[in-house]
Amino acid sequence: MDLRVITNERTELEIEIAGEDHTFMNVLKSALLETDGVVAATYDMNPEQSGGQTEPILSIKTEEGTAPLDALEVAADEVQEQSDAFHSAFEAAA
Amino acid sequence: MSEQYEVEFIERGDREATFLVRGVTPAFANGVRRAMLADVPTLSIDEVRVVENSSVMFDEQIGLRLGLVPLTTPRDEFSEGETVTLALDVEGPGTAYSGDLVSSDDLVSPAEENVPIIDLKEGQRLEIEADAVMDTGKEHAKHQGGVAVGYRHLQRIEVVGDNEAFEQDDPRIVRGVIEAEGELVPAESFGNDLTNRYEGKEVEVHDVPNAFVFDVETDGSMSVDDLVLAAVDSIGDRADELAAAVQL
Amino acid sequence: MTYKCSRCKRDVSLDEYGGVRCPYCGHRVLLKERSRDIKTVPVE
Repeated sequence: MDLRVITNERTELEIEIAGEDHTFMNVLKSALLETDGVVAATYDMNPEQSGGQTEPILSIKTEEGTAPLDALEVAADEVQEQSDAFHSAFEAAA
Repeated sequence: MSEQYEVEFIERGDREATFLVRGVTPAFANGVRRAMLADVPTLSIDEVRVVENSSVMFDEQIGLRLGLVPLTTPRDEFSEGETVTLALDVEGPGTAYSGDLVSSDDLVSPAEENVPIIDLKEGQRLEIEADAVMDTGKEHAKHQGGVAVGYRHLQRIEVVGDNEAFEQDDPRIVRGVIEAEGELVPAESFGNDLTNRYEGKEVEVHDVPNAFVFDVETDGSMSVDDLVLAAVDSIGDRADELAAAVQL
Repeated sequence: MTYKCSRCKRDVSLDEYGGVRCPYCGHRVLLKERSRDIKTVPVE
């Protein structure tokens, strides 16, 4: 997972997350949309035809007072928690 | 924010299972499904050294068939890119089966003994040495641990009233698992038709939010439990990595 | 380089003077045998 920040402003962030696909990006996006202070979040997986860009680019817009990088960190932690919760719930049932 | 997770098995086998997960977001459910197919690595033959092949097929064809033989992949024993050597030596007349593969590692063996590789006639012989490599389904479908993985919403059935007298009951087909009177019932048990279960009743069907019934079948390289947990962990690991990278 | 005569099935070794011909039966069709080397095949 290689990160490359494209734009990083007070309430807007565009970041390339190399090596990931829909599997992780969609989970991350949905966690971001549930995160406090996030106005909009999406990712773009450009097809190869569009100039060679194939790595997903995550875009986040936040409310005033929330740094988008902080929101990303909160969302990543949330995904981690979901994964841990799923893991332990599955083990408990198994 | 995350809801309480709850897992309940409806059917449970080593290689095939149906289970219900409550509290999971649709995105996470799909992430787990995709990870089971493409991101959980398994061992599979990737290079074949042909010592003798006097069979009727080309070395490459034999190689492809060997690659598709599922090999048991114990959890946490191998990392991606690691290899295990196997050998096969069969002389005709007879059939070379996957079970004839001899592994150099006791932990690794063909998950299925009776996959025919090739029929050998009198005087024909197949002697090979092969390297199995640990890789993901993203790289090649032979590395897919999960072969039939899917999920659907849990459906809650509510009886809202009686049908009018002499009204014709149209079939009301449902699939998967329903939740009725607080119990989980596989739809096969009443022929997938709600009118069999609720004769003369008017029923409503609703998807239960954030409750998904997973159907998982593996190719035998690992158990359903191992596959699901490895898929869930792979998403968790990536979130871990992202969180660590963002903190810098 | 070893060949096999397609008629009498005997092993034939070719030299540069004899031409392509089986020295035992005179047949002109010779089959090349598979090399005994170990061949490495990538699985795709």
